[in-house]
Amino acid sequence: MQLKKKPIGATLAAATCSLLGSLPAAPAAAQEAKDWSIDTSLLYYGEDNGRVEDVSLMATIRRIFDEDRSLNATLTVDSLTGATPNGAVPANVPQTFTGPSGGGGYTVEPGEQPLDTTFLDTRTALSLSWQQAAGNATRWSVGFSGSDEYDYLHLGVDARLERDFNMRNTTAFVGLAYGQDDIKPVGGTPIGLSPMAGEVEDEDGDDDGDDRGRESEDSKDVADVLIGVTQVLSRRSLLEVAYSYGQSDGYLTDPYKILSVVDPVTGVPAASTEEGIPYLYLYEKRPDSRTKQSLFAEWRYALDRDSFALNFRFMDDDWGVQSQTAEARYRWNINDRSYLEPHLRWYTQSAADFYRTVLFAGDALPEFASADYRLADLDAYTIGAKYGLHTDHGEFSVRLEYYQQSPTESPGSAVGDLANLDLTPDMKAVIVQFGYQFDF
Amino acid sequence: MDTNSTFDLTRDKRLWRIEFSAMASPCEILCETEDLDFARALGAYAAAEARRIDEKFSRYKADSVVAAMLESRGRSITVDDETAKLLDYGEMLWRVSEGRFDLTSGILRHAWQFEEATQAPDPQRIPELMRYVGWQRLQWAPPVLTLPAGMEVDFGGIGKEYAVDRVADWAARESGDPVLVNFGGDLRCTGAAPASGAWQVGIESLAKPGQPAKRIELTSGALATSGDARRAIVIDGKRYGHILDARTGWPAPGAPRSITVAAPTCSQAGSFSTLAMLHGADAEAFLRAENLRYWLLR
Repeated sequence: MQLKKKPIGATLAAATCSLLGSLPAAPAAAQEAKDWSIDTSLLYYGEDNGRVEDVSLMATIRRIFDEDRSLNATLTVDSLTGATPNGAVPANVPQTFTGPSGGGGYTVEPGEQPLDTTFLDTRTALSLSWQQAAGNATRWSVGFSGSDEYDYLHLGVDARLERDFNMRNTTAFVGLAYGQDDIKPVGGTPIGLSPMAGEVEDEDGDDDGDDRGRESEDSKDVADVLIGVTQVLSRRSLLEVAYSYGQSDGYLTDPYKILSVVDPVTGVPAASTEEGIPYLYLYEKRPDSRTKQSLFAEWRYALDRDSFALNFRFMDDDWGVQSQTAEARYRWNINDRSYLEPHLRWYTQSAADFYRTVLFAGDALPEFASADYRLADLDAYTIGAKYGLHTDHGEFSVRLEYYQQSPTESPGSAVGDLANLDLTPDMKAVIVQFGYQFDF
Repeated sequence: MDTNSTFDLTRDKRLWRIEFSAMASPCEILCETEDLDFARALGAYAAAEARRIDEKFSRYKADSVVAAMLESRGRSITVDDETAKLLDYGEMLWRVSEGRFDLTSGILRHAWQFEEATQAPDPQRIPELMRYVGWQRLQWAPPVLTLPAGMEVDFGGIGKEYAVDRVADWAARESGDPVLVNFGGDLRCTGAAPASGAWQVGIESLAKPGQPAKRIELTSGALATSGDARRAIVIDGKRYGHILDARTGWPAPGAPRSITVAAPTCSQAGSFSTLAMLHGADAEAFLRAENLRYWLLR
């Protein structure tokens, strides 16, 4: 039988002090690294004036197998509601639009921005990635992603290779991604620059409304290449520079977006020759390929207590869109357990060559045209902050951001009546995100 | 520069890595500093200190303290201050372990050939050797040691941890920058926490040597591991670890394969992990009673 003995810790501690001729050392702090990590968040994104609202739930689970292998799986469910600009400009008369399947039309009051109120969607996305080290200086990862909406299916694969050089002060990386998207718009994909049809009886009785000349589905392929380098500049600072090249081919048009056709002098909407719709609107049409290049640089710097990061991105594509993004984050470590991270982002882009706020009646039809504000000359900024709190049960965080976007109409659009209307209204949005992360 | 203080110094991201070989172990020091002079001085001190301790207490060096004790053949000898402190420490361990740990048990290596490991010890040999094991047989009246003829004193069980502490204490006196001193898996950190938040330390897997079975995040103090993962004899399916109970001359029955203990200093961590092994099947009860953080592989 084991006799109950007095612990020997105090004797050992005293003997160690006399052996080393030193004062008692600080207590040990060691814990086993956790193999599992779960990261969850709930995000609300809301645009003003009853436009898009998104409630997004995300969960990432990460399993570390040993120091150099890990598996990540992320599931995201988005629930989108609200209205989105359909591309038409406001008018001094009420405007009636047809829903995508010929039914479900809606009317917009004079002076109001035409919004498609039928916008409603649930998106489910899953991504998986596997990371592994190959020797001391090389790491690679492969991933799969898929997302599904009622009218959209995305499948993608990606791979990345990283290698350290120069006594691990330099890391070079190369990434490849390929994705294929299938688009199955309600009522099929309209013919580009064809007029929006009026609300009609579904003549062939197949319940898909007006399907004249429409394809039922279409697809696009997107391939991206990324190369970059991370350089340790000093114990405190790090610089990352990356270049990416992306090529999209296939159906790149938004099947739900239209353009207004107006009188070039009065700005009044042109009359439609279609039955059941008073004014003329044309479906947009974009080129079937797009090449993007971007250059990204980020500088991260660690102060004694805090840290900050500044980054800049320059993007250029063959649609004529050039954009610049500048972003700054400062992490203020309030104490061991909490931090506050203010965030500022500024964005500007030039309009795509084929962006037209309106088309003029009597003009020859352009080859491509879109009135999508996302292709307009636009400026945007984001201001916000994130607060994080580490507890014994994990890290809680809350992020609050304000976003404002100001598109500019294409030159010469504000003719006649349109001069007194806001053709490209500003959009404001708020983002609130709650996060919870824990290891086990 | 003295050849005794040669070491390799390489830059690894934010860290300076100092490497040399001493005490039959790979020795590595990681140092997160912008002060190259400090990194160089630390490497020079650590390599010289580890080799000094190794040689001073080596059984194999003719001019070592241990050799002088062997040659005393029952005559009283006066030892230096550092040797006296290590003997005091060994005596304390012998007392608190109730004789399980004993600086005089090294002689049992003549019966246990762990290096080329297939044979059980000769059952006659252990009782013969046990006549030369036992702290109670010698006289230690600091600084005078009287070691009966045929007996040996071996500092192998505490020397490496002592060297880690000596180097860590030196580093802490010279700089507040984060330093991790690791001599063959017995390690201690000093200074501020590294930029990554914690030092990542792997405990070697028994099934896959070289692969970590567990990963420990260390932010303060020391970790030491005792075990038979590398040194053991397996006879008829029974495993005999190299940590021997000085009261019997045999390994304590039911001891875990490996025990890692966290403590303020490497000497404490090493002593706790060795004593826990010597408690055999009761190792966990012993560690729990000491209120220690530990990781055990069976």
